[in-house]
Amino acid sequence: MARNRFDVDENLETPFSIKHLLRAGTYIGRHKKKMILSLVFSAISAAVGLIGPLLVQRGINVSVPNKDYRELAILAACMLASIIISLLFAIARSRYMIQVGQEIIYDIRKDLFQHLQKLPFQFYDDRPHGKILTRVINYVNSVSDALSNGIINFVLEIFNLILIAIFMLICDVKLSLVVMAGIPLLLVVIFLVKPAQRRAWQDVSNKSSNLNAYLHESLDGMKITQAFTREEENGEIYDRLNQNCRRTWMKAQYTSNLIWVSVENISTWVVGAMYLVGLCTLGPSMQIGTIIALASYAWRFWQPMLSLSNLYNTFINAVAYLERIFEMMDEPITVDDAPGATELPPITGGVEFRNVVFSYDGSVNVLENFNLNITPGESVALVGPTGAGKTTVVNLLSRFYNLTGGQLLLDGHDIAGVTLHSLRSQMGIMLQDSFIFSGTIMDNIRYGRLDATDEEVIAAAKTVCAHEFISQMEQGYQTQVNERGSRLSQGQKQLVAFARTLLSDPKILVLDEATSSIDAKTEKLVQQGLQALLKGRTSFIIAHRLSTIKNCDRILYIADKGIGEMGTHQELLEKRGKYYHLYTAQVED
Amino acid sequence: MFQLRWVWTRMAGTHKRYVFALFSTAVLAVMSLGNSMITANIMDTVFYPLQETGTVTPEAVRQLGWLVALLIGFVLVRTSFGYLSVMTYENCSQKLIYQLRRDLYKNMQEQDQAFYGQYRTGDLMTRLTGDMDMIRHAVNWVIRQLISCTVMFFTAIITFFVADWQMALTMLAITPFIFALTLMFSKRVHPLYVDLREKLSSLNTAAQENISGNRVVKAFAREDYEIARFDEKNREYKEANKTASLLWLKFCPYVETLSQSLSVVVLLVGGAFLISGRITIGTFAMFNGLTWTLVDPMRMLGMHLNDLQRFFASSNKIIELYYAKSTITTRPDAVKPKGRVKGEVKFQDVSLKLHGTEVLKHVNLDIHPGETVAVMGPTGSGKTSLVNMIPRFTDASSGKVLVDGTPVRMYDLKSLRSSIGIATQDVFLFSDSVDGNIAYGDSKMPEEEVKRFAKMADVDFAEKLAEGFDTVIGERGTGLSGGQKQRIALARALAVRPSILILDDTTSAVDLETEKYIQEQLANLDFPCTKIIVAQRISTTKRADKIVILEDGRVTQVGTHQELSQAPGYYREVFLLQNGQEAGSERQVV
Repeated sequence: MARNRFDVDENLETPFSIKHLLRAGTYIGRHKKKMILSLVFSAISAAVGLIGPLLVQRGINVSVPNKDYRELAILAACMLASIIISLLFAIARSRYMIQVGQEIIYDIRKDLFQHLQKLPFQFYDDRPHGKILTRVINYVNSVSDALSNGIINFVLEIFNLILIAIFMLICDVKLSLVVMAGIPLLLVVIFLVKPAQRRAWQDVSNKSSNLNAYLHESLDGMKITQAFTREEENGEIYDRLNQNCRRTWMKAQYTSNLIWVSVENISTWVVGAMYLVGLCTLGPSMQIGTIIALASYAWRFWQPMLSLSNLYNTFINAVAYLERIFEMMDEPITVDDAPGATELPPITGGVEFRNVVFSYDGSVNVLENFNLNITPGESVALVGPTGAGKTTVVNLLSRFYNLTGGQLLLDGHDIAGVTLHSLRSQMGIMLQDSFIFSGTIMDNIRYGRLDATDEEVIAAAKTVCAHEFISQMEQGYQTQVNERGSRLSQGQKQLVAFARTLLSDPKILVLDEATSSIDAKTEKLVQQGLQALLKGRTSFIIAHRLSTIKNCDRILYIADKGIGEMGTHQELLEKRGKYYHLYTAQVED
Repeated sequence: MFQLRWVWTRMAGTHKRYVFALFSTAVLAVMSLGNSMITANIMDTVFYPLQETGTVTPEAVRQLGWLVALLIGFVLVRTSFGYLSVMTYENCSQKLIYQLRRDLYKNMQEQDQAFYGQYRTGDLMTRLTGDMDMIRHAVNWVIRQLISCTVMFFTAIITFFVADWQMALTMLAITPFIFALTLMFSKRVHPLYVDLREKLSSLNTAAQENISGNRVVKAFAREDYEIARFDEKNREYKEANKTASLLWLKFCPYVETLSQSLSVVVLLVGGAFLISGRITIGTFAMFNGLTWTLVDPMRMLGMHLNDLQRFFASSNKIIELYYAKSTITTRPDAVKPKGRVKGEVKFQDVSLKLHGTEVLKHVNLDIHPGETVAVMGPTGSGKTSLVNMIPRFTDASSGKVLVDGTPVRMYDLKSLRSSIGIATQDVFLFSDSVDGNIAYGDSKMPEEEVKRFAKMADVDFAEKLAEGFDTVIGERGTGLSGGQKQRIALARALAVRPSILILDDTTSAVDLETEKYIQEQLANLDFPCTKIIVAQRISTTKRADKIVILEDGRVTQVGTHQELSQAPGYYREVFLLQNGQEAGSERQVV
C-alpha cells in the first residue's frame, strides 16, 4: 500500500458482507450466557408487563359492577407486583447489557491494540498516526451499543414479529397477507437505499478519519506551522476537511432517515388497505370481530418493523466502523516469530552478516552481499554518506525488517529462528529522535528495565551525565515530562534516552546518532563513563563526529550497498580513501 | 446551565432554524397522538356500528374510504414534517460543530509553546472528537427529547385536568417524588461523567503515545508491557463506563416503580370513582389509555438528564479550549516592518525563566545584518531557548530582543515570523510529498524553485525516491534517515528566503562532506540573510563571523574561531577534543 496522506480516503476493496457482523459475533459469543439470559429476562419482563391490561379489564368488567372495593384493591396490588417483577427483570437485563457492551468494546480494543504492537515500522510509517488513533478509540466506542443492546433488541423484535404474524394468520389468512404485503414493498425501498446508505456511512467514517488525522498532525507540528506562518492555509485545509465531514454526514442522514419515513407510510397504507379489504369482503366468512382484532395486530406488527428499520441503520453504521477495525486487525504481521522459534540464549555478542541482501520495497536493494564478522566485545563504527544504509544495517540486527536474502547470525544463532522478544531484549538501541513518554523522568529511564530500583536508575543517569541536570530540576527525578519532552532540551532528551538504553543492560549496544545533540564535553564524559560498561559488550555506533568514532575497534565506511572500507582509524587514514577524505573535511582548513 | 447558554450563543446564524426545530418537536409530540385518534374514529364510526347492524352499506365503505385517506394523508404529512424536523436538527447541529471545530482549530493555531507543553495531544484529540460529539448529541437529540417529553407531559396533564381534576391531582401527587429522585440521580452522576471523560482522555493519550513511540516500544521489546499498560487504561475506562451506567440502575427501580404505579392509581382510584359514579367508563378508558403519555416522559427524563450531564462535562472541556488565551499575541499597536527586514538582531540584558528555573541570565548580544553567528555550549545551557526568542516562541522575562532595532514584541507576529526561517532541532515533517514539505512556507512555489532550494540543502536523494519529489513521506518523516530529515527541514527553512535564518543543530546528523557542501551553499545565498547556527561541531562553527559560547544561561565568550581556539575556555576545550586531543596537549592540528 502506498503511503497515505491525511486527505486520501482508504477505500475498502471488499464488498459489504455479513462476515464482519459474524466476526463481531465471536466477541459477543464470549458473553453467550449473559446474552441468552438477557433475552430470557426481556421476554419475561415483556410477558409480565402484559398482565397489567388484563387486570384492568377484570376490574372494569367484574369489580366495578360488583362494587367490590376489596377486589379492586387486590387487583391493584397484583398490578403493582407485576410492575415490580417486570421491572426487576428489565433491570437485570440492562445490567447484563451494560456489562456485555463494555466488555465487547474492551475486548475488541484490546485485540486491536495487541495486533498493533506486532505490526512493523512500515505500518506506522505509511499512514498518519491520527488515522490509527481514531480507529482504536472512536470507532471502537461507536460499535458498543449496536453489539450489545442492538443484537438483543434485534432478536426480540424478530421474535415479536413472528409471534404477531402467527396470531394474525390464525385470525385470518387473507387479511394477514394484505398486512404483510407491505414487507416486499419495504424490502424494495431498503434495497434501493442500502447501497447509497452504506457508501454514505463509509464516507462518513473516511472523512472523519481524514479530519482527525489532519488535526492530530497539526497539533504535533504546530511549532513548525507557526514558524512558517502557515496558519491560514492550514486553516483552509482543515476547513475543507471539516466541510467534507459535514457534507457526508448530512448525506448519510438524508438517506438514513428515509427508512423510518418509508416504514411509517407503508405501514399506514397496508393497514388502511386491510380495513377496506376487510370491510368489502365482510360476509359469512369474515366476522367484524376479526377485523377489529386484526386492526390492533396490524399496528403492532409494524411497530417491530419500525424498530428493526432503526436497528438496521445502527447496524449499517456499526458495520462501516467494524470494517475499518477488522481491516486493521487483518493487517499482515510481516515480522513475527517463525513457527517453532526458540528462545535466544544469553549471547556474548558475536555478530555475523552472511551474504545479506536487503530491500525495503522489493525492487531497489539497499544492501547487497553484505558480509561482516564481529567478535564479541568489539566496538564498530559505521560512517558514510546519509542514506547509504547505516541505519538499515543496525535495524536488521534487531530484525525490525526481514532480510531479503542471506543470513544474520548472533553467536551462531540465525535471528530468523529465534523469538523476537528474546532477541530484542538483549539489544540496546538508541535512536536519534528519542521519544519521551509522558510521566516522570524516573519512569522514562526505567522503561529500559522495568524492575530496576531507583538507585539503579540514578546510577544509569550518572553514567551518562544526566544526573546533574535532573537533580537540578525542582522535583528531580519525579519531574513530569511529556511526549514532546518539552521541558527537556534535545540534548537532555538524548541523555535520558541514553540512560534508558544503558539500564536495559544490553548485550549488543546500538547507538544511532545517539549523541548528535549532546555537546562535545558532555559526550567525552559520557564516553568515559561508558568505558567500563562497554567492556565485553559489542557496540555499533553511527556518528558523524570523529571524536565519537575514532577510538572504535573497527570503522566501516558504508557506501554502494555494502562496505566500502573497513579498518581501524589509523589503517583507514593510511589508506587515504573515502574515510580519509571524510576525516580531513573535519580537520582541514 | 451556562454551558447551554454558551452553545446557544455559538449557534448564531441558525437560531431561527433551531427554534423552528424545537417548535416542530412540540408539534410532532402532539401529532403523535393523531394516529390513535383517527384509528379510534374508524372503529367508533365504521366498525362498532357494524357489529350491531351486521350489514355493509355503501355509505360505510365511503366513510371508511375517507377516513383511510385521511389517515394516510395525515401520516404522510406527519412523517414529512418529522423528516424535515430531524434534518433541521441535523443541519443546525452540524453547522454548530462545524463552526466550533473551525474556531477551535484557529485558536489552537494561536496557542504558544507553554500551552502545548501543558496539554497532551491525546487530550486535545479527545476534546476535539469525543467531547465535540457530545455537544452534537445534546443539540441534536437530548434537547429534542426533553422538549418532546415536556410537551407530552403537559398535554397529558391538561387533558387529565379537563376530564377530572380530582383524579388528575391524585396522579400528579406522585410526580414530585419522581422528579426529586431524578434530580438526585442527576447530581450524583455528574462527577462520574467527569471521571469517565478523564479516563477516556487518558486512554486516548496512552494509545496516541504508543503509536507515536512505536519505534522505542519495539527497540526495547516492550510490547507486553505496553499491552499491560494499555489494558489498565482500557479496563479503567470500561469500569468507569459501567459505574456511570449502573448508577442509573440503582435509581431506576424507584423511579420506574413510582412512574408506572400511575397505572395502579388509575385502576384503584379510577375504579373507586367508577363505583361511586363520579366518572364514566369513557373517562376511565381515556385515563387508562393515556397514562403512558404521562409515564414515559418521567421515565425517560432520567436518561436524558444523564446525557445532559455528559454534555456538561464535555462542554466544559470545549469551552476551556475555546477561551484559551495565548500569552504571545500581536499587540494592538504592533508595527509591520517596512519592506524586507535587514536582519539585525540584538539581545539587551535578556533573562528568561521557564518552569521556575532561570534558563537565560542577562544575555547581551549584537548580531549585524548578514552575519553568520554560531551558538555553542553544553547540553541544557539555553541555546535553543535563546534562538526561540527571536520568532517569539517564548518571550523574555526581562530585557529586550530587537530585530532591526524594534523589540520583537512590537512586531506584527505574522510578519515577524515570516521574515525568519527556522529549522528546529526536533525535526518535524508532515505526511506530505517531499515537494510539499519543502514548500511548506509558500505552497505556491514553482517546482523549479523547490528543486533549487532542495539542491542548496543537498536533498538530491529525493530524486532517487520511488516518486521523486512527489514521494509522500511518513508522519514526522519516519522512513527517512536523520540526516535526510534534517536536510529537508533545512531546505524548507531556506525556501522562505528569510532575512534571518535560524538553524538549531540542523546538520548534526549530516555527514561531514555534505555539511561542507551545505556550508558553501549557505555562504553564497542569493538573498541577504543573517544566519544564527546552533551547533556542537567545530566543523559547523569555525567559518562563522562570530561564535557565541553559552554556559549555564550566560554568554561566556564571543569571538571568531581564530580568537577562541587560542583563548582558554570552553571553545578551545571542545576544539581540542574534537580533533582528538586532550585539552592541554601542545600539538596543533590546524
